[in-house]
Amino acid sequence: MSQLQDGKAMVNEAEAIENDIADLERRLAEAKLKQRQALQQRNSTEESELEATLVPSPSQTTLHSPANHFLLLLSDSALPLGSFAFSSGLESYLAHNKPPPFSPSPSYNTTSLPNNPVPRTKPPPPSFTSFLPLSLSSYASTTLPYVLAAHRNPTQLALLDDTLDATIVCTVGRRASVAQGRALLSIWERSLSASLPPGSASAEKAAGILKPFSVLLRSSSSSSTSSATNTSSSSSGWNDPPPVSAHLPPLFGAICALVGLSLEQTAYVYLLSHVKALVSAAVRAGMFGPYQAQKTLASRAAQEMIAAMVEREWETGVEKAGQSVPVMDLWVGRHEVLYSRIFNS
Amino acid sequence: MNSPFPKSSSAAGEGKIIARLQPDGVSGLETITYQYPLKLISPSKPAEDKSVLVFLLSYGGGLVGGDQVDLSIHVHPQAKLTIVTQGHTKVFTSTKPDIVTRQTLRAEVAAGGALCLLPDPVQPFAGSVYEQTQIFKLAKDASLCLLDWVTQGRSARGEDWSFVRWLGRNEVWTRPGDGDNGGRLLVQDSLILDSAQAHPQMKTLRESMHAIGIMGTLILRGPLMKSLGEFFLDEFAALPRIGARDWRSEDAKKAEVNEGLSAAETWRRDRLKMEKESGLLWSAALVRGCVVVKFGAPEVEAGRAWIGSMLVQEGSIDEIFGNHALLCVK
Repeated sequence: MSQLQDGKAMVNEAEAIENDIADLERRLAEAKLKQRQALQQRNSTEESELEATLVPSPSQTTLHSPANHFLLLLSDSALPLGSFAFSSGLESYLAHNKPPPFSPSPSYNTTSLPNNPVPRTKPPPPSFTSFLPLSLSSYASTTLPYVLAAHRNPTQLALLDDTLDATIVCTVGRRASVAQGRALLSIWERSLSASLPPGSASAEKAAGILKPFSVLLRSSSSSSTSSATNTSSSSSGWNDPPPVSAHLPPLFGAICALVGLSLEQTAYVYLLSHVKALVSAAVRAGMFGPYQAQKTLASRAAQEMIAAMVEREWETGVEKAGQSVPVMDLWVGRHEVLYSRIFNS
Repeated sequence: MNSPFPKSSSAAGEGKIIARLQPDGVSGLETITYQYPLKLISPSKPAEDKSVLVFLLSYGGGLVGGDQVDLSIHVHPQAKLTIVTQGHTKVFTSTKPDIVTRQTLRAEVAAGGALCLLPDPVQPFAGSVYEQTQIFKLAKDASLCLLDWVTQGRSARGEDWSFVRWLGRNEVWTRPGDGDNGGRLLVQDSLILDSAQAHPQMKTLRESMHAIGIMGTLILRGPLMKSLGEFFLDEFAALPRIGARDWRSEDAKKAEVNEGLSAAETWRRDRLKMEKESGLLWSAALVRGCVVVKFGAPEVEAGRAWIGSMLVQEGSIDEIFGNHALLCVK
């Protein structure tokens, strides 16, 4: 009998344990469910936060606009203007300021002013850090007012081009400016102009300004080639100048205005392109390598100098434009009498 | 009825010169008037009759801060006018940077007429503020010889581009009605020398001048100056190439010296030697029917000797305007 009672008690105990296990499992399942729900809730709030702050819709970014697209195109050194052919006087500057192999006897200086109490200031040995500010100042003071004026009023393009033509009193400088200007006009006609929406205000404005300009240029260049066949090329310069020449600065200003670049962007890109062309010329002239070139381009000094030049010329009308570094005219002009040349200017 | 004395014009610093061909075929002055601080003198007994000579002077030998000179010139058909100075045009120190000393010249030259302006250089003193504007309107067959040059200042006193500001602008236009309505700008040559530094990384004015002590521009235009213009272009083309080596032996070089060179070749050899020793740099270009010559040298007198040598050697100036036109460049 006692054995039966013992057996009954054991069954009861086993039932109780099973009940406990079932209870514990149910609580575990509930807890797991709660945890899953809590996790899901947190994830969903985080996702919505990400959407709000980090992933704006592409149409709202500042990068995606036609003006910025053209800003990048026009500042690209792959823009086929042929700028690589010109050193803007850098090559001539190096040739003129090369330290002589033997120490020269300054016989002239000592005889002309024997009592001169001030020792003559000698120009520093040639370096890119000396040349860059000189070139930038000269380039800005002579041409930036024409870029700004053409941007502010593109309809004056032909007049600005003719006035600028009168101010570049140097064969080499004219060649460089006209070659790049004509290249830019070709890029406009063959490539960029098609991207303006047809019938839009800017497309009509462009057609009204650049088409007649290009017709004027073709008429003058065909007449000048016919006169060149009659007379020698050197005497053709004695004749009346053509109505337009297609210099780079006014065309650059007008085209930037037509594709929607702001005045400040235009001025900055114009000067930055000059610095890029100079740096690239310096690399090819063997002054420094590509890392130093990028360092120069990226430097605070380059940025601040460009900004300072834009500010200096912002209010300068074209009638006040002029040469701020007169020795630059001599270097650029004398590029023609270098014995060996790797650049066209 | 013309008064024998120069008439005085109304405003301070104003002056007027009208040159006309007289019935005897000699150029004479129809009008010459001036007001302090400008002074114009024409020798009563001209030494030459190729052109009429006028000295452009200022009282006290220079322009004091704030002086305004405004000269207008008319050269009638076939007349020839020569303008020179006596010594550097000194520009004295301005007491304040906003007090600007100005010299303005407006000249019109009629068909067949000729104007020669070969003055001494302008010498701006330390602290001076100067603006010079020279506008020339030329008829179709008019001729112009214009020299505009500026020095570093009084180098003996240590001045080396020590002024506040120097602005110089030269414009050559065709006259209205000569084919281009309203006249067309042929050449504009502007110099902006400003002591204000746009940014600390930029060069100072003195550094920008690159040890040049004198900077000059010569502009030639018209049928009478064509020969002189071509002379400059030819001499520029004939310059020895920079960076070229002379591989000849010393004996060969000496042999060439003793060989029979023509007078022109000897002159060129001596001039090139002078250019090299004095550090003079120059260039010449034919731009829109004008020949523009630019030159710079460390020493003022080297610049003067060079331009004088070029003008005398070619001979046109003496032949057309007379020897007195070369007074300031010799």
